[in-house]
Amino acid sequence: MDFQALYAHLQAQGAAGLGGCDEPRAKDPEDKQDKGRAGDPFVLVAVEQLPAFLQLCRDDEALGFEVLIDLSAVDPAAEDEDLWLVIQLLSLRHRHRLMIKSMVPKATPCAPTVAPVYRAAQWHERECAEMFGITFEGHSDPRHILLPEDWVGYPLRKDYVFPKEYRGVSCE
Amino acid sequence: MHMGIIENNFDDNVLTSRVDWLLNWARLSSIWPMTFGLACCAIEMMAVGAAHHDIDRFGAGAFRASPRQSDLMIVAGTVNFKMAERIERLYDQMPSPKYVIAMGACATGGGPYHKYGYTVMKGVDRIIPVDVYIAGCPPRPEALLEGLMKLQEKIRSTPVIRKPAHSA
Repeated sequence: MDFQALYAHLQAQGAAGLGGCDEPRAKDPEDKQDKGRAGDPFVLVAVEQLPAFLQLCRDDEALGFEVLIDLSAVDPAAEDEDLWLVIQLLSLRHRHRLMIKSMVPKATPCAPTVAPVYRAAQWHERECAEMFGITFEGHSDPRHILLPEDWVGYPLRKDYVFPKEYRGVSCE
Repeated sequence: MHMGIIENNFDDNVLTSRVDWLLNWARLSSIWPMTFGLACCAIEMMAVGAAHHDIDRFGAGAFRASPRQSDLMIVAGTVNFKMAERIERLYDQMPSPKYVIAMGACATGGGPYHKYGYTVMKGVDRIIPVDVYIAGCPPRPEALLEGLMKLQEKIRSTPVIRKPAHSA
């Protein structure tokens, strides 16, 4: 299925939390300000509905997404109020992919864990948590995965302040 | 052997310097590095160990799997803070005399991670003493061999029996 067909199918199935989609487009030749949009098409999903949404993506025969390729986040700008949680799915048997975006407010950076649906998300969520400060509720092992356990701050946030020293060793 | 035979047959400190030379020669001719790689520099280090460059020509080809059997730690790659703790422990576990080569830009001073590497240690010499620094990103195998030769030069000129001048 191409993206339009995927989106129509998701709508027809009444996918939980589905909140629209966005596709890349060429820039409007009439409008000088318009830069168009590059990148891949994605569907927007309400963050609290993610596990139910992914459950449908995995179990629906026509969608058939067996593989969670990636789960990560984006901090678009320091002044933005939301982080984007980005999930990439792949169906090997149908040979199609889907990108899912969810907005996670920086004020309450919480998301339900999707590891019960896709086990692969376990480590990705741990990395996402330490790098962006998103709390994955219900996660079975919320330790750091890359950084030392006593690390302060979330390095991939745009407003991250670099440490001056770590355990007495200068970082300058 | 009767000590009287060699007595007065040599200058005063010939015997002393010969022991120095002998010990140093033994040490520098059989440096056992630790099997220990952190990043892409380790690939070059493996190339040095393989047939084409062959670090065995310099007597340093016996890569040991344990710090307790090693004389040399080649820090080949990026040292982050989480790894630094382990490196410190491994260094402490090595028996003296022990030597350290900081191979490549990362181990020397953070390399490409110097500015934005929030968790990269900007040079392994912040936690353990380094004998030889090798430039490059990563250094060519020949550069590592030259680094090894520099280390051998250093070992050759180390006073073992004589007291070092400053402590006399």
